[in-house]
Amino acid sequence: MLLLLSLVLLPLLAAGICLALGGRAGTTRVTLISLAAMLTLALVLAARVLAGGDLQAAGGWLHADGLSVLVACIITGVALPCAAYGADYMRHVQQQDHADARWAPGRYEALTLALIACMMLSALADNLGLLWIAIEGSTLTSALLVGYYRRPGSVEAGWKYLILCSVGISLALFATVLLFYSGAAVFGEQGSTLRWTTLREVAAQLDPRFVKLAFLFALVGYGTKAGLAPMHSWLPDAYSQAPTPAAALMSTALLATSLAALLRFHAIAVAGVGPDWSGALLTGFGVLSIVVAVPFMLVQGEYKRLLAYSSLEHTGLVALAVGLGTPLALFAGLLHLLVQSLVKTLAFLVGGSLLRASGSRRMDHYAGLIDADPRLGTLVVVAGLGLAGLPPLGTFVSEWMTLAGGFASRHAGAAIVALIALALVFIALAYHFSHIVLGRAREGFVDALPGRTRVPMAMLAVGAILLGVWLPTPVRDLIEHAMRSIRP
Amino acid sequence: MNLHLPQWLPQSNTVNLLAGLFLLSALYAAGQRRVVACIAGYRWNSIALGLIALTVALVTGTRHIAFAALLVMGVKAIVIPGLLAKHASRMKGRDVEPLIGIPAGMLICGALVVVAFSQTRALFGSGQNILGSCLPISVATTLVGLFLMVSRRQALLQVVGLVLVENAIFLAAVSLTYGMPLVVEMGVLLDLLVGVALLGLFVGRIEELQGDSDTTRLSSLKG
Repeated sequence: MLLLLSLVLLPLLAAGICLALGGRAGTTRVTLISLAAMLTLALVLAARVLAGGDLQAAGGWLHADGLSVLVACIITGVALPCAAYGADYMRHVQQQDHADARWAPGRYEALTLALIACMMLSALADNLGLLWIAIEGSTLTSALLVGYYRRPGSVEAGWKYLILCSVGISLALFATVLLFYSGAAVFGEQGSTLRWTTLREVAAQLDPRFVKLAFLFALVGYGTKAGLAPMHSWLPDAYSQAPTPAAALMSTALLATSLAALLRFHAIAVAGVGPDWSGALLTGFGVLSIVVAVPFMLVQGEYKRLLAYSSLEHTGLVALAVGLGTPLALFAGLLHLLVQSLVKTLAFLVGGSLLRASGSRRMDHYAGLIDADPRLGTLVVVAGLGLAGLPPLGTFVSEWMTLAGGFASRHAGAAIVALIALALVFIALAYHFSHIVLGRAREGFVDALPGRTRVPMAMLAVGAILLGVWLPTPVRDLIEHAMRSIRP
Repeated sequence: MNLHLPQWLPQSNTVNLLAGLFLLSALYAAGQRRVVACIAGYRWNSIALGLIALTVALVTGTRHIAFAALLVMGVKAIVIPGLLAKHASRMKGRDVEPLIGIPAGMLICGALVVVAFSQTRALFGSGQNILGSCLPISVATTLVGLFLMVSRRQALLQVVGLVLVENAIFLAAVSLTYGMPLVVEMGVLLDLLVGVALLGLFVGRIEELQGDSDTTRLSSLKG
């Protein structure tokens, strides 16, 4: 199938063109056109998978099932607004603080596109080895984005991110080796396979000890990459130091791909040793992530670090929902993965505008935004409501369904702890966002970015609200399809 | 290329000897104060890994394992140590004291090796002839590599610890499954190579910013 291959190769090609163009004009156009084409391709892929079932390509190396398609839609759906906003944002950075951004022009676009190619490959890989290579590739490209600015904080964050995720990911490689080894007992020495679709089919014949051990290592390995507590220590630094549009991409698309990689191992464990064992672990780590985020959100002073801890909380929610494993919770978890991507991208992008306008990362430098700039203020309000999981945003629906699923499951205790933590998160967000939006406006607040940067933000806001009040049939079908990737 | 393997490999003395070299070189790296000596330990570690893979290839007669073994040796014993040594020679700052003293560190490493051997036996059973002692040694080396990462302050030594862990996982792959499919191994090696190059880039930037590569001084980001 050419469709799958072109989804992976198109961004690589565009990255090459951006590098070749260098400082000349046109990199923005190449990026936007290729990403728009990718979004179209992802939607076509979704339609075909929904209509005709899973697709394969490249001699069995690529495979598109419900979960891949959901992740592909998240990646492309987030990457396009990030790039549209990022073009003006990075131009402004270059004009204002060129000491910070000494990289050759065109490099930022090329890195972003390479990251998108790696993420897309990991979403579509039908081979645990290829999945590992793609996830490690996304670590390497995004580490360069984290350390993009040449200031001490960026270097520190980039170093931490690279070294922690590299250690984590080498444990995930061990998990991959273990599953390959356990497959040898079923297929014979030379016939073992790394294809996860095949491994899942024969999972019941695999030695349960190795399936469990492999899931444990994958949980620590890919969990580090997804930023599950307690392996999240790189996360606030990386998200706060990366250029804003790149941070938005990392906290949504990259998070979805890392979680999806973990869910591949979860699916094998579910098929091999039953849903309870790995589900309980995911539930535990999910609740821990939500709880750990709370104190840091309450006392947070920096806007992007607040978003980073909010990201930790949302990752935890998805892990909790998937771990609970009831149909309602599973549906809610995957829906949450989708809507939180829209909401968090919006939150990061408005943060970028605030940062460029005020020149500060600290929230006490933002005030009275609804007076100073009513439109931007409204977008901030929408982002805040979404992060807190309030109606009419889509996150309200998914969080509510997660908790409802939790109370109906055997892990009602976990749902109660999560509910209390979410209430505290709400208090933290209400406090910080009311200070940003209300109060006396600072004098001379002018949005430094051109008006067209509002367009991607407005579209994200509309999307997040729409999913809160109305769940279109294709979206529901897509999520139900993705549920079958985890529990057939 | 279709091979029938006898009860995995016989307890081959060659493999055991090389596995011993693998563990000893990792311990040597963990016990050195100077960065250059640590890199030499890693180089010997990689050579032992490549030779183990080569032995496996010779015993089983599989060509793709031999190819992978040569590739591993080329990348891990020549290119990566070369990259690391280049960064080490550029280092201006004096050698920083380790967080845990070398003698105490060696005792801890010894304990880690004992734990690795006893726990691996408990988990995988001692009855299996998985290339003799390779699996416990790979677990032990993983732990030693991780210990090296947490007990040293220099950024470059943490990279050495990381590549030691990576070597240990390669050894596990070889001893458990005779290595993964060639395409996957090549991809993993490429990622490792690019990863080390990037880590080197960051080491260079850290030194540029603060004059040495003491990572404990990287603490401006908090909360």
